[in-house]
Amino acid sequence: MTTKRRLKYLLKTVMLGMFLATAGAALGTGQAAVSPSKEAKNAVGFNEFLHRVQAYVDLRKSIDSSLPALKPTDQPEKIANHQQALAQRIREARRRARRGDMFSEEARKAFGRTVREELGGPHGHSARTTIRQGEPLKTIHLHVNEPYPDGVPYTTLPPTLLLKFPKLPDQVAYRIVVRDLILLDVEANLVIDRIPDIFPETI
Amino acid sequence: MPRPRIFVLAFITLLVFWVRADEFKFPLKMGSVRFAAIGDMGTGEAPQYEVAERMNTERQQFPFDFVIMLGDNIYGGSSPKDFERKFERPYKGLLDSSVKFYASLGNHDNPNERFYKFFNMNGSNYYSFKKGNVRFFALDSNYMDAKQLAWLQKELQDSGTSDWKICFFHHPLYSSGKTHGSSIELRSLIEPLFIKYGVDVVFSGHDHVYERVRPEKGIYYFTEGSSGQLRPDGLASTAMTDKGFDSDRTFMLVEIAGDVLYFETLSRTGAVVDSGELRRPVRTPESGPQNK
Repeated sequence: MTTKRRLKYLLKTVMLGMFLATAGAALGTGQAAVSPSKEAKNAVGFNEFLHRVQAYVDLRKSIDSSLPALKPTDQPEKIANHQQALAQRIREARRRARRGDMFSEEARKAFGRTVREELGGPHGHSARTTIRQGEPLKTIHLHVNEPYPDGVPYTTLPPTLLLKFPKLPDQVAYRIVVRDLILLDVEANLVIDRIPDIFPETI
Repeated sequence: MPRPRIFVLAFITLLVFWVRADEFKFPLKMGSVRFAAIGDMGTGEAPQYEVAERMNTERQQFPFDFVIMLGDNIYGGSSPKDFERKFERPYKGLLDSSVKFYASLGNHDNPNERFYKFFNMNGSNYYSFKKGNVRFFALDSNYMDAKQLAWLQKELQDSGTSDWKICFFHHPLYSSGKTHGSSIELRSLIEPLFIKYGVDVVFSGHDHVYERVRPEKGIYYFTEGSSGQLRPDGLASTAMTDKGFDSDRTFMLVEIAGDVLYFETLSRTGAVVDSGELRRPVRTPESGPQNK
């Protein structure tokens, strides 16, 4: 082998080594991207949840527009009738609704992580106190597509936790019921979905 | 009736008038803002009716124009019968006299109460209104989300410095109530806004007692949660209480004239539980909203 050929061979070897090293590094970076951060995981779950909520709100709007609009009235029966009619029609439109329709698996995990972090974090003590002092319910069991029982108080949802959850359209709200997180249609007073046992047994 | 009994009754009546005459009196100034405050009242039971009757009686001497409601307006259901038994009937005398009611929602209230015209919420679970030189902000402390916080900040910011600013909502930021106590989390979110934008007075309910707290960071706090419900012996002994009362139902009467707020808290028998006057700190555009 001539000196020129040797040099060429050496150069090729070095370049191949550099290429493999770069590729390896890139692969390593790629592996890190495959395992996303907690925030990224939560974002995926929350986005999925919000898309589903928006689809629900769109459906609900079309149902609501078929009813006479509820305006401030001095006749409580009009308010009660509107609530019942809206709930009835939503129930019919979502006959096959079941748990997990809004809170997908990814969303459920994201909410779970958020609750655990909040209750175990710097606001944890006061958040737990808020729930403890906020008339926690002991035995009630709610089901998807059923009304929130009339006259049952709302357990106080710690505001710092509420701020960590995705912002909801006005038509729906989060509620705590015993250990569950409920998604409630406020005007129809209807349970849209729930995550069971998301809150610890002992608050 | 035997004569001695008549004398005793006459003596007691005179004594009550004498005691009341010797006590605090509202100035009843021309153009002043006069209102009552009630909380946790919507039980539909006798004590609520008795408080309402007392309010009606007091209105002959102190003609208030409106009532602020501090939540738990209708307990135990939201059927038309509930509205009738727990609001329309007890306050019929006041409603017939065109007294307006402005409600905030408690944790026992169906949020659809916001559509009930007599509660003057106009379909919103939080809202503001102005009477004379006083701006009122009714909040929904059940659900303090980012949207409501942003609304509150903007409303307070836009309301300038010349008017009194009074917030009312259900969960007290400071309370010595044994059952619920102070809503510390809620406080961490909204108290900084109250301080920054110069809120003067806050009324809340939730704990079924009456309490006036020593001013906290320049703001006066009242808990009036016993206008229907009552938790006898429901007040713990704490350093923050300026005046507390937990042995009968109560309601508040308030008059604001210029920079002075006069208040009187009465039991359902008409006994004066607390009274006094609060002066509003002078705020200039430079001094407040502070740190704008």
